[in-house]
Amino acid sequence: MLRRLIPSTWWFALIAIGMSQAPLLAHDMWIEPTTFSPRVGEIVGVKLRVGQDMLGDPLPRDSSLIKQFLFEDGQGSKPVIGRDGNDPAGFLRVAESGLLVIGYRSNPSAVELGPEKFNEYLKDEGLDDIAALRAIRNQSGSPAHEAFARCAKSLVLAGPPTDKQGDRRLGFTLELLAEKNPYTIPNGGELPVRLTYENRPLAGALVVAMNRTNPLEKVALRTDKDGRVRFRLASRGMWLIKAVHMIPAPPGGNAEWTSFWASITFDLPKM
Amino acid sequence: MLANQFSMAHRLQWVYLKLFIALLACTTSAAAHEIGTTRVSVLFQERQSYDIEIVTDASALIDKLKAMSGQSSSANPAPDSMQNLLQDFDDKFRQRVKVTFDGVEVHPGIAYSVTPGSGNNSAPVATIRLTGQIPPGAQNFTWTYAWTFASYGMTVRKAASENPSTQWLEGGQRSTPFILAARAPAVGRLSVARRYFSLGFTHIVPLGLDHMLFVLGIFLLSGRVRSVLLQVSAFTVAHSITLGLTMYGLVTVSPRIVEPLIAISIAYIAIENIFLSELRSWRVALVFAFGLMHGMGFAGALKELGLPRSEFLTALLTFNIGVEAGQLAVIGAGFLLVGWYCANRPWYRSRVVVPASMMIACTAVYWTVVRLGL
Repeated sequence: MLRRLIPSTWWFALIAIGMSQAPLLAHDMWIEPTTFSPRVGEIVGVKLRVGQDMLGDPLPRDSSLIKQFLFEDGQGSKPVIGRDGNDPAGFLRVAESGLLVIGYRSNPSAVELGPEKFNEYLKDEGLDDIAALRAIRNQSGSPAHEAFARCAKSLVLAGPPTDKQGDRRLGFTLELLAEKNPYTIPNGGELPVRLTYENRPLAGALVVAMNRTNPLEKVALRTDKDGRVRFRLASRGMWLIKAVHMIPAPPGGNAEWTSFWASITFDLPKM
Repeated sequence: MLANQFSMAHRLQWVYLKLFIALLACTTSAAAHEIGTTRVSVLFQERQSYDIEIVTDASALIDKLKAMSGQSSSANPAPDSMQNLLQDFDDKFRQRVKVTFDGVEVHPGIAYSVTPGSGNNSAPVATIRLTGQIPPGAQNFTWTYAWTFASYGMTVRKAASENPSTQWLEGGQRSTPFILAARAPAVGRLSVARRYFSLGFTHIVPLGLDHMLFVLGIFLLSGRVRSVLLQVSAFTVAHSITLGLTMYGLVTVSPRIVEPLIAISIAYIAIENIFLSELRSWRVALVFAFGLMHGMGFAGALKELGLPRSEFLTALLTFNIGVEAGQLAVIGAGFLLVGWYCANRPWYRSRVVVPASMMIACTAVYWTVVRLGL
């Protein structure tokens, strides 16, 4: 089973099972529309979720956190509108058939983590270079102040899927881009995904994919030199693919580390 | 119904608005927090009792409870079914909620309710109420809630009329201790002993009808003093053992198991009275075994009342003595009412023991059914 999940030898794969006791504060954030397959003309609620193992808590709209909240279709980019404090955090109207890309980019949130929790979180998210940097700086035993920003995307399909439809680059600081329309991928087929940081491919980063039918069975792959990974979409249903990138924070702020959390969701209909 | 929904929606929106205003007021850096829809309000009444209300997204909570129990997430049911589901998950829910006074965890009573969302896209809202007594002399309160991944606001009031103080917490984070009284009066050992003796007594008479019927069942077997003494002694030793072990955290059995077993034990004793007229050794052994269960039941009640940290042992012992006094009062009343006059009469069994035991058995069977949720 494990061998089948690893598409080729230069990707390192691991399956993380039993995440129920994962670190307290390193939570994923993703977009979960009220439907992934709307009709043309339908109003779609855009729910933001924060959690782990695809178990999410609602994140109501908070304009002080929103840097960008938009969707792109064949006609261009439009804002996802909504009222502060409400869940779903926003709404959009499907104007035409095709693949719709929803994006949410947040301002940074601050968090302080104890040394053990922070080290555990770095390990879980595959941020080995930051762990090494902390060790060099003799900080492994110190608490960490982090500013984290979200870069979430979701792919919604109105009408029939075609190969011409595709994910779009939204210009997020850290961005996952599906290089094929996932809705056209046959059962068990591979989805190539590219991770970019400041619009350049990010190599060696850990990208994790999970499916709602069994979110504990995660597939984690490191990006190659072009920032690419390929996930075998062995199950139907909702998928969440995510990656975290961390850098030392620019001097002058309260935080020592800045992290970016990219995610992309889509929902393959049952066959 | 519509009016209720509107008022709920209005209330929630108002709460969010207030949360955001409070957040803006207390945020000093440019970085904000990711605030979810969960909120927690704590009210202390007269330094006697606490009332904690958690308002949260019902579907998100149920999904997590199911996942923690190894169940797969299915489509969200109607609010009524959600309420029943939450009640079924009570044991699981308690595992990630901690109410402590002076560092000692208490065991609150929990009531769950779920109301529909306010609009087409709004999710049902779960309101969970945790209530209990503040242990006498408690000076501070801490709170942990690990069923949310987002940040949430906890408001605390020492009286209904007081302005609340707010703490922002991450899911799973323990609150900083909330001071209940700047200078709490010292608790005297005697006043603790008096209070817990009275709590133990009233837990039997008049509040513990099930324990009263069990003791009456013991009394009814035979009018002989030796029979009553042997059984009561076995029962007392047994329930004292499990009461102590449970309170010190050495034994933990869910009330879902203990409470139906207590009802079964009463039914058994009463039914046996119909067929047995003399004390047998196995009966004493059985009463001992049943006593172990009743002890866990007493511990459940005592946890809800809470124990003062400084006088833990005094409170535990005097509660137990209060329970004994309650039992003796029941036996004494039985003896005065029927035993004194007619225990040795030839018709005692047919006219008193059998009909009374049958009534006790019927009541206990009914409790068993109810407690098993059949």
